[in-house]
This record gives sequence, structure tokens and C-alpha cells, in this order.
Amino acid sequence: MLKIESVSKRFRGGNYGVRDVSLDLKSGVIGLLGPNGAGKTTLMQMIATITRPSAGRILFEGADVTRRPNDVRRKLGYLPQDFGVYENLTAIEFLSYFAALKGITSRPRIMEMLEHVNLHQSANRAVGGFSGGMKQRLGIAQALINDPALLIVDEPTAGLDPEERVRFRNVLSEIGFGKLVILSTHIVSDIESIATEIAVLKAGALLTVGAPENLLRACAGKVWRAVVSSEEFDQLRTILRISSAVRKSDGVHIRFVGPEPSLAATAVEPELEDAFLYLMNFGPEETAAR
Amino acid sequence: MSGSLARIAAIVRLDFLVRFRRVSTVIVFLLLSAFAYVWIPSPATGRTLIQINDHRAIYNSGAIGLGTASLGTMFVGLFGYYVISNAIRKDVVSRCGLVAASTPMRSGEYLWGKFLGNVFFLTTFLAGFMLSSMAMVIVRGEAPIEPLVFLEQYLLLTTAAIVFVSAVAVLFESIRFLSGKLGDVAYFILWMMTISLAVGNAASHGKISWARYFDFTGFGFMTDQLARVLHTDSVSIGASSFDPHKTTIVFPGLRLSREWVLPRLVSTFAPLLLLLVAALCFHRFDPTRTKQTSEKSSRNWIGRLQSLFKPLSRRVVAALMRPVRGGSFAAAIWSDAVLTLTLNPLVVVAFVAITIATCGASLASVLPVVFAVLAVIVSDVATRDVRANTIASLRATPHLRENFVWWKLGSTCLFCLAFCAVAIFRTALLGGLPLLALLLGIGFVAAMATSLGVMTSNAKTFIVLFLSFCYLVVNDRGANPWFDFAGFYRGGDATTMAAYAVTSIGLLFLAQALFRTRLARA
Repeated sequence: MLKIESVSKRFRGGNYGVRDVSLDLKSGVIGLLGPNGAGKTTLMQMIATITRPSAGRILFEGADVTRRPNDVRRKLGYLPQDFGVYENLTAIEFLSYFAALKGITSRPRIMEMLEHVNLHQSANRAVGGFSGGMKQRLGIAQALINDPALLIVDEPTAGLDPEERVRFRNVLSEIGFGKLVILSTHIVSDIESIATEIAVLKAGALLTVGAPENLLRACAGKVWRAVVSSEEFDQLRTILRISSAVRKSDGVHIRFVGPEPSLAATAVEPELEDAFLYLMNFGPEETAAR
Repeated sequence: MSGSLARIAAIVRLDFLVRFRRVSTVIVFLLLSAFAYVWIPSPATGRTLIQINDHRAIYNSGAIGLGTASLGTMFVGLFGYYVISNAIRKDVVSRCGLVAASTPMRSGEYLWGKFLGNVFFLTTFLAGFMLSSMAMVIVRGEAPIEPLVFLEQYLLLTTAAIVFVSAVAVLFESIRFLSGKLGDVAYFILWMMTISLAVGNAASHGKISWARYFDFTGFGFMTDQLARVLHTDSVSIGASSFDPHKTTIVFPGLRLSREWVLPRLVSTFAPLLLLLVAALCFHRFDPTRTKQTSEKSSRNWIGRLQSLFKPLSRRVVAALMRPVRGGSFAAAIWSDAVLTLTLNPLVVVAFVAITIATCGASLASVLPVVFAVLAVIVSDVATRDVRANTIASLRATPHLRENFVWWKLGSTCLFCLAFCAVAIFRTALLGGLPLLALLLGIGFVAAMATSLGVMTSNAKTFIVLFLSFCYLVVNDRGANPWFDFAGFYRGGDATTMAAYAVTSIGLLFLAQALFRTRLARA
């Protein structure tokens, strides 16, 4: 469905936003995971025809998106990071505008989308008064209004409260079969329940791509749990890659990733958060550097 | 409707809704419409709209139409650009442009939509002004109203200006280095050049024949037609004095003579070629080609100048902040006034230049410049917190939650008083009344900047309105005492001073009421 072939994006200063990334994606929800500055947004903008790759090519259903951008734009829904709104428009007016740009003038379709994101009761309210979550839902409504085959959402849950994040995840998971959804985030919990595949980026390069189970399998035996005193914890937290720490009456329960440690620790079943932390710190790039 | 037309229509509609739902637009629109009343004085005052060799042109549709259309052209040319020149930038900042760029919308459709949005917006403004000017034919008219004659004057004079300004705005916004302050300056120079060209051609009796085809302001056409119809070059448009003993003249209005048909058509449609250039330069929201806010502040020429003077302003700011102790309301006012300096290090240079100029030059000539510079500096005092998204934190600060308007007023007043210190000192030497007039003038500026800033959250509202007003004041040169708001020309009497004081208080209470309402809703 979407083929990314050795794509790079080099900026004017000579820095690379994305470097030699190749991906072959089928339908489903693809989680693009990486820390800030990993190149997720740049990669998504290239797929969304916003910016051109400096090298390589991107094919969507066989068509080169750089040479024939309108082919993909007709089938694309895009929600950029930090999506803003025209504050003094109503939700209907706002959605009608993007619908018109996508060649849709059907009023029932606009109302249907508002209902889909649970904003139908606020349809005639100025969007300036909407909460962050409502604005994001309006953003997803505009992205979905043309029933896209390719949906790209960039950090959609940033700044949302837990309830809104869950609601947003549900909206994405309800998107029909046979579509490709690319969702970027640096929050693992956003994608662990809905992603069929995860691509991990770091410093513009692709570290790994695969089903969540494969990622978990890759770091089996690399996740540990230990109980340490508060004093030990203060020392260990600068040495170990700790994914969680909880203070209890018997000490601090820590969970960390890495090779077998010297302290008394038990190997535990990895979670996606651990796998991500492991990749970031002990992934192929880091292993080579060591 | 075809897909292209539907998309263009959607862009025009969006721009119209977004602009006309802003309080700032509504205020400028209403004030401009009301401005017709001031622009067309009653002949009983000894002043008239059009004066020809000291004869007064009677108030018919032709004269009032021409007089107000020429003012409308000035408004469109001088201020219209600055009001409309953020249509594309707005989409960059909100990131809605990124979404638009990911749709099948063509770049040409987008630029046409923005251009037509600009045209529609400026036309609506001028239509409001034209209608209120038509009403003045009924109020002060001396002949029956002729709507078609009226409309003809506006079409002949303002159409080319509207198209030109709208096209230049789209072009400049599409070119990276012209999409900010440099573009604002470049536009001003361009507009002045087009006027100079028209004036130069008129002065040389049409020897620069090609200039007629680039007469975007319509002034070349207007002066030529007036000279032909009235057989004189001595025509004054605006509130000018006349000799009441001389007979009145009936001016039928401008007509499009055959030799001007082609030049007017070329002047109207030639700017459309700029859209082709815009299409070639348009970034289509590619982040690597758009000017980002952070980048803008460090790389543009004003940003660089500001950085250059930062070490100097830092020392001044440190010295000024030394006396601030505690969290009193007065300390908050002082801190905010100093913040104006911190944010704009160039103010230190402006202050030194203005102080030197005020020491040497006559007050009547230097004060309008001082006030114009002051207006630009203080325009963002009441709006910068909304822009920086710090309003929520301010509402949690003691004293400031309910007193935001008075805090900003205090800060603006303090800054204005410091900035005009030498002028105040010199005026004090002239006597109590001139000093009072100047202080009330400063108060009026501070009140207007604060209230319009609070009401509209847009610094441009105050700048456009105040500089338009200043333009009138300077051109009037004290002939009409009502305009002399700060005693520039010693024209203002006690009634004038009282009127400006009452207006200032009224504006402030209006802003405070609006602020309280918003606070209650928040």
C-alpha cells in the first residue's frame, strides 16, 4: 500500500531530518515511535506531500507521491502536530471549509463526521471555546471527512487528558478495515493497544519495524525488576535505564532494561514501554557505538 | 459549481468569516463608516470637502463621491495592506495551512482564493464607507442623491487600488523574505512610488505617458480629469477652508473619457500578473520554505537590530528594575512598562533620537512624529499577553486578575510619559494650558491603545485607527480645533480637552466592562 524507498530529508544547514528510511506498509494502524526530534514529523510530512524528500521515493498504491501528489492527496487525511483552529468559526463552518477543499459539499456527511467524533451537540459553537480534546476531535473529523485510504496523524494526543486520549484512541481504532493509519507519538501507551505494526525512529534513522510482539520478543530477558533502598536508588538511577520506580514500604521497586545486572534482580516479561526504552538505549545504533 | 470554483469560494468565505467576526474588524469598519461625518464638514464651519481656487464645490453626489472615494483609496493603499497582509501567515501559524496543502487543492486555487478574499474584504470596507458617505449627501447635501454617480466615482478610483493592494499582499506573503516586516516596509515604499509616479506625470503635464498605465492609486487619472473639467490645477480635497464670498461650483463627478479607458483597465488588471509570480514563489506550507516564528525573530533585519541593542537595553532595564520591591500594583505597573523596553531594545535608540529631536526642533513639527513612534511602540502593550499566551498566569497574579485594564493603562501611561519627558518639559515652559493639552493627549493615546488592545486583542486595530487619525490631524494643522487632541498646533480649547478626556474614560470603561464579561465567562 505504502512503500518508502531509501527516503532522506536534508535541511538547508546540512542536517538530516530523516536519513535513508525504507518501509513497506500494508493496511492497519502503524505506530511511528520515537523521541522528540527523531524525524517522525518530517517523515509524515513527506508522505503527506507537504515537503519533498531530498532523496529516495515514496509510493502510495504504486504512484510516486512526489511526482503525482494529487493522486495521494485525494485519498489522504492528515492531522498535523499542534493543529490550530480558526477561533471564531463554528465547528460546522470549520469542517465545511476543509470538506470543500477536499471536494466534499455534502452537509449530511459533515454532520455525520461531527457525530462520529461526538461534537454534533457543539456543531454551532465557536471552536475558540473548545477544549484541547474537542479541537483534536475536530481535527480528526476533518482528516476523516473524505473517507481516506491513508490517514496520517502526528502526535494527536499531546496535551490531552487521559480520558480524551482514550476517546481519541477509540476513534482511531474504529477506522474501517483496509485503510492505512500512520500515527506518530512518543508516548508508548498511545499505540500499544491499537498498532498492528510499530516503526521506531531515532535521530532520523529507522531503528526497527515490526509487529509489537516482535519488538517485545527482541527484548525478552533484557527487562529486570529489583527492590532497592532509597540510597541505592539514588545511585542506580544514573547507571541503569529505569522504566518505572515505585516507592513501597520495603524499598523502591524498580524496573529497568539492559543486559543482566550485577545487583539482585529478576527477569520479567517485557512491555512495549520497556522495548522502546531498550531500543533507544541498546538498539542497533547504540550497540554498534559501544 | 466546479471543484476549483467551490474551493476558491470556500477560501473566500472562510477569510470573510474569520475577519468579520473579529471585534477589531468591526470596530475599524464602524469607525471608518462614521468617519464620513468628520471628512465632510458643514460649510457653515468655513470648511468644505472640495475647494477649487477658493470656490466651494457644492455637496452633490459627484463631489462627495469623489472626495470620499479618494480618501477611501488612501485608506486602502496605506492601511488596507497592513490589515490584509496576514491571510497566508495566519494559516502558517495555525497550521491549518498544512492540512490545506495535503488536500487536492491547487496552489493557484489557494492564491486566487486569498486574493479574492482580500478584494472582498477591502470592497466591503469601502462599500460601508461609500454608503455612509451617501448618507452624508442627505445630511449635508445640496443636491439630490445620485447613487450611480456616486458608485461611478468609487469604481473609477478605488477598483485598481483594491486589486493592486490585494495582489501585492498575496505576492509578498508568498515570498519568504518579504512575508514579514521587510515586506511591510517594501510595500510602503512601493505605494509611495506609485503615488510619486502619478504626481510626477501630472506635474510634467503627462510627459511620462506610460505612468498612466501604472496608476494604481487613481490619482493620476483624478488630477488629469479635474484639471480638464475645472481648468485649474488648484484643487484641494479634504476639509479645506474656502472663501464664502466666492460663488459655488457644481462638480458633476469624474467621467471615464475615451483616452483613459485603456490606462484604467491596464491599471486594474495588470496587478493580476503578480499572482503568477506569487504562484511561482508560493511555499505551499512546506515547513522548509515557510518562515517560522522563531526563525523570523532571529533572522529578520529588525530582529538583528534588536539583538544588536540588547546589551545596551539590558543595562538600562537592570537599572530600572532596581527600585522594584514587593508585589504591589505600582510595582506591577513599573515592571510591565520596563518589559516594553526589554522586548524592544530598539526603543532605547528611538528614545535617544526622539529626545535629541525634541530638544532642537519646533514642538509643532516634532510632536506628531513622537506620537506616531509612540503609537507603534505601545500598540502591543495590552495585546502581548494574549499573543504570548500568558493571560492564564496573569489571572493568577494578585492585583492583576480584575485590574488588567488599569494595569495596562498604568504601564502605557508610564512609558508614554517617560518617552515624552523632554516634550512635556518644553511644553510646561509654554504655560499650564498647553501642558494640560499635551498630558491629556498622552492620556488619550494610552487609553486608546489600552482599550482597543483589550477589546480586540490585536495591536493593528489601534495602529490603523490612530495613525489614520494622526494623518488627519497633521493635514488639518490645527485649522479644526476638534482634531488637535494633544495641542500640537495650540488649537485645542477647554471643550476639546474635555471631549478627549471623556472619550478616553469612556473607552477605558467600555474595555473594562468587556474584560469583566470575558473574565466571568472564563
